[in-house]
Amino acid sequence: MHPVLPWLGGIAVLSFLPLITRTAYDQYLLNVIAINVVLAVGLNIVKGFAGQVTVGHVAVMAIGAYASAVFSVHLGLPFWLALPAAMAVCAGVGLLVGIPALRLEGAYLALATLGLAESVRIVISGTEWLGAAMGFEGIPPPHIGGFVMETHFRYYFVVMPIAVMGIYISFAILRSDMGRAFKAIREDQLAAAASGVHVAKFKLIAFVLSALYAGCAGSLKAHMAPGYLNPNDYSLQEMVTLLLMVIFGGIGHIWGAVIGAIAVTIINDLTQDYYTYRMAIFGGVIVLTVMYMPRGIGGMIEDFWVRKRFAALRAATKARQAAP
Amino acid sequence: MLDYIIDLVIIGVSIGMVYGLVALGISLIYSGLDIVHFAHGEIYMFGAFIGLTLFQKLALPYVPTLILAIILTGLLGMFIERVFYRRLTSGGGGYTVAGMAMVVSGFGMSILLQNIAFLIWGPKALPFPVPHGMPIEFGDLALPMSYVWIIGTALVLMVVLNLVLKKTMIGLAMRAVAYNKDIAYLSGINVPLMISLTFGVACALGAAAGVLIGPINYVQVQMGVGILVKAFAAAVVGGFGSLPGAVLGGVLVGVVESLGAGFISGTYKDVYAFVLLIIVLMVRPAGLLGVSIKMKA
Repeated sequence: MHPVLPWLGGIAVLSFLPLITRTAYDQYLLNVIAINVVLAVGLNIVKGFAGQVTVGHVAVMAIGAYASAVFSVHLGLPFWLALPAAMAVCAGVGLLVGIPALRLEGAYLALATLGLAESVRIVISGTEWLGAAMGFEGIPPPHIGGFVMETHFRYYFVVMPIAVMGIYISFAILRSDMGRAFKAIREDQLAAAASGVHVAKFKLIAFVLSALYAGCAGSLKAHMAPGYLNPNDYSLQEMVTLLLMVIFGGIGHIWGAVIGAIAVTIINDLTQDYYTYRMAIFGGVIVLTVMYMPRGIGGMIEDFWVRKRFAALRAATKARQAAP
Repeated sequence: MLDYIIDLVIIGVSIGMVYGLVALGISLIYSGLDIVHFAHGEIYMFGAFIGLTLFQKLALPYVPTLILAIILTGLLGMFIERVFYRRLTSGGGGYTVAGMAMVVSGFGMSILLQNIAFLIWGPKALPFPVPHGMPIEFGDLALPMSYVWIIGTALVLMVVLNLVLKKTMIGLAMRAVAYNKDIAYLSGINVPLMISLTFGVACALGAAAGVLIGPINYVQVQMGVGILVKAFAAAVVGGFGSLPGAVLGGVLVGVVESLGAGFISGTYKDVYAFVLLIIVLMVRPAGLLGVSIKMKA
């Protein structure tokens, strides 16, 4: 069986999901989940695979969203060109963020990206032609010929395949020698360098890849109805939600990030009315997860499987020893 | 023109002193515990709110308010360190896995504290009206008393911190713990207590900064986010982990920000500190006072 087939099957099965939703709001939620999956999977590449702590991912997403909006509104590009263009811009940003990352270790990198996140938001809210603090509106939805994907139902068929594709590519990266290089850097940079891994190159690649994901998610967000962007949607609070997805789901686990994105988005939506309590709880959950469950849900599930396999192995050995 | 520049520099220096105090705390934690504390901006915000509450509800004068807020926030910091961070710091800081976890955990803690403050004190920006008296006049220049207070108090705190660290046994023990925890253990120092104390002192400095800036700024829940970037910038500019460097960096960041707001544009005031941070990180990561960056080897 060709390895892509199960993924195509996944897309086919997921296509029926909006049919069982009752309201347009549920479909909107599905789209948001798909976008967050793209984001979380992308953050997982740089943070989970390559072990670089960046807290500027929302800034990259914001740049992607605004770039896409500018391309389609000011330059009149259609969505299908604005999306790759925005991703290209974000790849450039990822490169820019990655270059200091070559010289900066751990905490310094977190500092630099934190500054970047805040600065991007401040610059956007101060720039008139980006809509300033009022937000950017009137971003056109994607269309194929006369078929305009303005409803959430139609938009779902743009977002969902991209999200599934994102997960697939992430797995492909993890399986490749590139993925092994990332993991080597995460575990021990010196040992990786000594084993012939070009640390600088692969760090940059990790940043660019994750920026591509963020740009894609940002662009998808921008073109989703009602086609409106607000700089306050890219604050540090959003970054915490994003971090929670990856950390709660399990750093370095792709399915963990997906589960985290789905769970956190749904919880986020259900607790809309309890905004402050929710953010306090999110913050608390991050602190407690880091303390007591450092590998997240993904790590727990993996432990469960490993333990089960060992138990089976042990039982088999015992049976073999018991038999004469 | 010259008067305008001098005005801007005075504002910059006094705001810079506040950044320097927060940066001093961050540097103290970094040199002592090998961790970067991302919730320090929220400690500063808590300090300001505790000060405001004491000032208004108990109607204390300004100086006792300052001292009480410093002590209470210091205790809060020790509590946070003991309950939440101890598990991570005992696994070693720096570039180990625990050190990275600390960054994430501090990030979560900052959101947690921010929203707790929101629940207690509400979303409004509250005034902190302290009658400091009339400005001092030097010819054409008028120096508001609140700036005098900031610079004076900050200098006093820095001198006291320096004396405590250099002249007392506790300071010696804290420096020993910062230098090498294992050898400090062997010398009979109560290392966990000293770690708590270092953290508490760092938080106390943050609280002092919060109470000092209250009278010239409003006190609000979001005030911690902006100061974090600036204090980090200050700490990095001066040389991360160096205490005099933190103060120097703070003043530099304050002056750059003030001149930038005066001559370029006030809208992007909060970005200048970040630009300075990036330039220093790219050109001279060791900072002005040139501490060697700790690398895993």
